This record gives sequence, C-alpha cells and structure tokens, in this order.
Amino acid sequence: MYIIGENIHIISEKVKEALANRDAKFFQELAVKQVEAGAQALDVNLGPRKKDGEEVFPWIVQVLEEVVDVPLSFDTTNLAGIEAGLKKVTKAQPIINSTSAEPERLEKTPLLAKKYNTRLIALTMGSSGIPVAADERVNIAVEKLIPRMLEIDFPMQDLIIDPLVLTVSGCQEYCPHLIEAVRTLQYAWDPPPMISVGLSNVSNAVPSQNRPLINRVYLAMLMGVGLQMMIANPLDEKQNEVIRIIEQRDDSTPVGRLYLKIADRIANMEEPSIEDVDMSDPEQVKIWKTVQILLNKVIYADSYLEQ
Amino acid sequence: MPVEIPKDKWPGSVRKVTLGATTAEGGTRGKTVTVGGESSLPFLHFESETPCRPAVAIEIRDRRPDDWSPLLIETWEEVIDDPAKWAKAAEEAGADLIQLTLSLTDKNGNPNTPEAAVANVKAVLAATSLPLIVFGPGQAEMDNALIVPVAEAAKGERLLLGICEDKNYRTIVATAMANGHLVNARTPMDVNLAKQLNILISDMGLPTDRIIMDPTTGALGYGIEYGFSVMERLRLAALQGDAMTQSPMLVTPGFEAWKTKESKVGDGVPEAWGDWLKRAIHWETLTAMTLLESGADILVLRHPESVRRVKAAIEELMTPA
Repeated sequence: MYIIGENIHIISEKVKEALANRDAKFFQELAVKQVEAGAQALDVNLGPRKKDGEEVFPWIVQVLEEVVDVPLSFDTTNLAGIEAGLKKVTKAQPIINSTSAEPERLEKTPLLAKKYNTRLIALTMGSSGIPVAADERVNIAVEKLIPRMLEIDFPMQDLIIDPLVLTVSGCQEYCPHLIEAVRTLQYAWDPPPMISVGLSNVSNAVPSQNRPLINRVYLAMLMGVGLQMMIANPLDEKQNEVIRIIEQRDDSTPVGRLYLKIADRIANMEEPSIEDVDMSDPEQVKIWKTVQILLNKVIYADSYLEQ
Repeated sequence: MPVEIPKDKWPGSVRKVTLGATTAEGGTRGKTVTVGGESSLPFLHFESETPCRPAVAIEIRDRRPDDWSPLLIETWEEVIDDPAKWAKAAEEAGADLIQLTLSLTDKNGNPNTPEAAVANVKAVLAATSLPLIVFGPGQAEMDNALIVPVAEAAKGERLLLGICEDKNYRTIVATAMANGHLVNARTPMDVNLAKQLNILISDMGLPTDRIIMDPTTGALGYGIEYGFSVMERLRLAALQGDAMTQSPMLVTPGFEAWKTKESKVGDGVPEAWGDWLKRAIHWETLTAMTLLESGADILVLRHPESVRRVKAAIEELMTPA
C-alpha cells in the first residue's frame, strides 16, 4: 500500500498554529514521523492561502525537503501557490492534489502538472457535484478526465484517479458505490491509471473514538477490490496492521482472518456473511456491525456499535 | 395474459404502540388508540395486512394562538379561549387523538407555569375521552419545566409526551418512565439522527413500545420530498429488521402546511392562486396525504375539513381493492 501521509492538514489546530508561526521544526518532525511510519509521500494541505500562497508554498517545500526525500503532494486549489512551490522542488517528483472534471479546473490544472512533470490526482467530480452511482463516477473518469490527459499528452502513468470517499455519517449510500468505483476504474483504461482515495473521509463527522475502526474496516474492503494507494494517517498502527495482514495474507489470528475474509468476499463480489464472524468475540462483532453500515445495510447512527 | 404481481416479504415490522389507558389500565380514557404493526410499505394489502389504521390527531392550544392563520382562528373561534371546549369540539370533528400544545407564555405575555400547564391538561382530560398527546412549546428548558409536572399529574394515562429531542430527552424520558407515559422522539429530518435518538432513549431503559418517532417533515412545496425520503428510508430499514427504526412515526402536517404563505395569508397573493380557504385546506390535506403514503402512523392536523378529507382517504386506503 502506497500511503500519502495526510497529517500536515490545516484542519488540525496544531498545524494551523505552527503555520502561523512558520514553525519549521514542527513540520519537519511531523514529516519525519510520517515517513518513518511508512508514508511514501506527504500530502500538504495548508488551505487555499489566497493571500500568501506564493510565499507559504515555497517555504514549506524548503522546510520539508531539508528532512525528507519523498514526493510532496500539493493539496490546494491555489494554482499560483502550487506553481511557486513546484519551482522550489529539488527532490522527488511531486503530486498536484487535485483537478476535477469541472471545466475550469480541468482546463488549467493538468497543464500545470505537465509543465512541471508532476503526478496529478483527478477527482471524479463534475460541475454538478459527486454522483452517487459507481458507474457515473467511472464515466466521469473515462469521458472527461482521461480524454483531457490524452488531449495534452499527459503521461498516463502519472495520472491518479480519486473516486472520492464520502462520510458514512450523512452520505451512507455513497459508501458501497465507492468500493465498486474503485473496482471498475482499474479496467477503465489500458494502461490503467493509478487509483487513490482519501480513506479517513469515510469517518468524517463520526465521534472520534469510532473513526479508526470505520477506517480500518473500509480499508479491508477497498483492498479487496485492489486499492494500492491512499491518502491516510500513516501513524495509525492498527490500520497499518490491517494492511500488513491483507498484504501478507496473515491468517494467524481470528481478527486477522476476519479482515482477510472481508477483503476476499468483496474481491469475489460477494457480501461478507455473518457466518464469517465469531459473534462471541466482541472485536469481531464490532467489525461486523461496521461492515453492515459501510455496505448501507443498516442505517448509521453515532451509537451504532451499541445497538 | 395473466400478470403476476411481485410481492415483497420483509423480515421486520413496525412496532405496535398504544396511546392512552382506560380505567382498567390505570388511566381515565374512554378508549385507546394503537398505531404501527405494518409489515409492508403503506397500504400494500396484497403483501400483508395493515393491522392498525393511521390515526388523525387535532392540534389544540392551551390558549388562543398568536400566530395562526385567521382562517383557523375563525374556524375554532367559539372554543379557542378554552382548551377543554376546544378538545371537545376537536373530538366532535372526528379526531382520533387530541394533541395539546402548551404555549411559551400566557395571554398577557408572562411565561407559562407548571400550575397552569397541569390545570389545562387536567381540564382537557376531563373534557374528552380520547388519548392525549401533550407537547411543550418546543424550547428544551421550558418543555422540561412544563412536561415533567404534567407527566406526574397525569400518571398512568399513557400520554404521548414531547418535545423529546437530543437536548432534553433525558428529562422527558425519565418522567415518561416514572409515570407510565410515551415519548415523541423528534429529530430534524435526518435518518442517522432519528435512529441515534431511538438508541439513546432505549439505552435509558424506556421500553421500545413506548417510543414514537417524529422525523419532522416539510410542507407541500417546502421540502416535503426530503421529508418523504427520510421517512421512506426509515420505514424500509424497519422492514429490513433494524430494531432502532421500528417505531411508528408521528408527523405534523397541520403545523407544516399552515405556516406556508399559501395557507397562512389571503392578501397580496396572485389572484391565480384562487380561493384562500380552499387552497389552505388543499395544502394541509395534500401535505398529510403525501406523508401518509411515506409511512406516517399519526397525522396531527389543524382544520376540521382537512381532518374529514384525510379520514375519508384513510378509510378508502384501508379497504383492500
């Protein structure tokens, strides 16, 4: 699993404060910690920075490249800011996060990516928002995103399609469709584009104690359909353990066997079954209840585990 | 060519909930009303029997309302200053249930008091033999201050108490448990929140057959399609076996419809809108009928003509073809 570390994100109060103080050490420590935990790239989301983007982005590139060698992912809509940052990059091939199928973004962002030889994350979102149905999201990729890349001769191996994870708390019907979108996108083109998702979006607006479990179970399902790249928290050890179990097919523990079974069921286009679960094991019961809400079989509620 | 009608067989069903208690059951009601029990989508008699008829409640107030349409004031003018008489008139107009809303203030603008609330509830209970729904003014603190003494004073009546929402459910549920009443669990048009409140209430130990779910809705032309979808989704989940969505649903089409401009005002609207009274009653009736088709078990209405029409429609819908 190729993890783009998500932790440098302006939504965190600490990041916000460190940025206001231009606290280079804070960012360097956070970057090193993520890379040491296995992140193969780092997402950098400092917001739009409309006023100071052309100063902030070059600054952060310099700060991070002093301590890490991995690709930096510019997660902002501020193209001028991205360009200023890209000019400073001296190490790995960077990533622009992101374009979408909205005409203006799709016009300009790929050109910038091509000019600076970056990889580009493209969201399956059009002017009318994010479609629910998996097919419609795949259609956006095939009819809008990929044709634009061909038009400007953008290398297909540098395209990363993100079919957009939405939260189980409020957008529950999207959750099973996203799994199918990841499955189908791998057959959308030859050679296939990379696919990445923002995993933890699935638990946005969920009480924080339940977020890691929901992320882990969704991850097992997505690995079942072949997900190989994601923007995620590389410091989540239990999540890393699920990745390891599925990648190494480690069936030495009961919970590990359940995660493997869930991934295999989804891989075979089957629904995970209650027969796969040892209902006397509270941990497995929690996983099973989480499967049920992520497949939109049972309506989500904040206390779904207590039901 | 013979056509076979496809039939769904659902694993779950809606819970039956009984409002009101007769003397033998520890209350003073002349009869009780049971709602719920569905094991298919509304009125699909070819799939399964609809065991309970949806009930119609008429909303009355503890005093003359300040913000109601003049059309409603005119209709109830003779009884509007006396909740006991109003309850009697509502019973005569065909209500299955009386829904009494306690006001935030008295007619002079002073805050409502527990003593006045208790006196009004007792007067209404004495004037009608129908089961009673009592809602506070809809502000969590005031609801608690008025509903708790009402619940104690009417112990054993199986009143349906509201407003019970995430801000104050603990207080309302506790008093319902202690005094043998039911709660109306209200959430703002959201399936996740509706289910969550049911879980929280059940966790407190109130038996699930004493919970009514109030998913709130819009009026015709004002978001009713969104409310419809929420109710439909809750009902489908109930039929699929999700225990925390299996409560019968109460909706308030009277409140929703009569706050729309189309119902509330007669002046300064396009002439093409036609006769004000006809339009207002259509608005309330159509709002109610739409919600009935999305699974409502209790409809709270305001105008007696809407009540007559909705009850006639229920009669037809309950008769298998």
